[in-house]
Amino acid sequence: MRIVSIAIASLAMVAGVAAGAAATKVTGAKAAQVMHERHEGMETIGKAFKALHREFDASSPFVPTVRSSAAQIANLSKSASGWFPAGTGPDVGKTGAKPEIWQNPQDFAAKLSAFQKAAQVFNAAASGNDMAAAKARYADLGGTCKACHDKYRTEMHH
Amino acid sequence: MPRQISDGDAPLSSPVGPRQPVWDLPVRLVHWLLPCLIAFSWWSVHNHHTDWHIWSGCAILTLLIFRLLWGFVGSSTARFFNFVRGPRAVADYLRGRWRGIGHTPLGALSVLALLCALAVQVGLGLISEDEDGLYTGPLYRLVSVDTSDWARDLHEFWFNVILGLIVLHIAAIIFYRVRGRKLTKPMITGHAVLEPGVQPMRPGKWWAALICLAIGIGVTRWIIAGAPPFSS
Repeated sequence: MRIVSIAIASLAMVAGVAAGAAATKVTGAKAAQVMHERHEGMETIGKAFKALHREFDASSPFVPTVRSSAAQIANLSKSASGWFPAGTGPDVGKTGAKPEIWQNPQDFAAKLSAFQKAAQVFNAAASGNDMAAAKARYADLGGTCKACHDKYRTEMHH
Repeated sequence: MPRQISDGDAPLSSPVGPRQPVWDLPVRLVHWLLPCLIAFSWWSVHNHHTDWHIWSGCAILTLLIFRLLWGFVGSSTARFFNFVRGPRAVADYLRGRWRGIGHTPLGALSVLALLCALAVQVGLGLISEDEDGLYTGPLYRLVSVDTSDWARDLHEFWFNVILGLIVLHIAAIIFYRVRGRKLTKPMITGHAVLEPGVQPMRPGKWWAALICLAIGIGVTRWIIAGAPPFSS
């Protein structure tokens, strides 16, 4: 009984993950709009992360910058769920997104989800007063960026 | 003066006569380590090893500092004052009126261009950051985020300039080889057979080389530390 319910739950998860990445294929102006939004969103996340890098390398980080950047990344990470519908790959327009995203939807969704989770955890840590702890969560978050970019992003994307 | 005496860079390598020193060990080590590190830098940054790429760049920085200093206190063929010449010397060389060992007046321009291009590349790398904000050159805090991004883009472009100079360098080696002058082997062994009357290399002091290396490593370590006290 337990095995069956686990199996059903797993199936539901797989279906859900696949749905997140590929269910609704977009075309035309909609695809262009999503790709633009994705590009801008990623760039904003990158800028926020660079600001954080500077703060955490300083002898004492400027807490308001840490908090606003953390919140910005956490918010955008939620939107990221809608940034990779089928039909927004390099065959459609200029993008750093590799076709592998849509060939390995489960792995990609897992990496995206790890990023989203890490962004929330870091945001929670940044809202506290222990900046050393926040820095550790920030490093975890960076790891999730790299894990996905190494595999699913091309170099020629700007 | 017969034209064939002076038609190449560096040593003559006719099959007769004793072999004489022309390039010292530090010059040869720097020379061959540079292409290794340049290749490694290229490979590592294109294979998600940006941290190795940065270390490789720091190693190149150490070599450049060493070579700069060795260019003042090293062997006779290593010293800039002995081989960097004006346009008249270059013109004379092209007309066949030059003889000697070491870099020719024309080859000197190539050496300077390569060293300067590498220095620019290292300088840009020092203040760069990757586009995700995960990796930073040791001096990135001296400039703004926008400047770091700009430096990275230029760093990427500048590699093509270096590649162009390397292609030119190798093309020149092949050109001389076709004309019967083998320049590669002396750069490996350090020795060549000289024309009669041409003075061989005067070596530098081994302890001077160690001092140059120590300064190179010291300055590099200071830069890796963020060049205190300039980046707070």
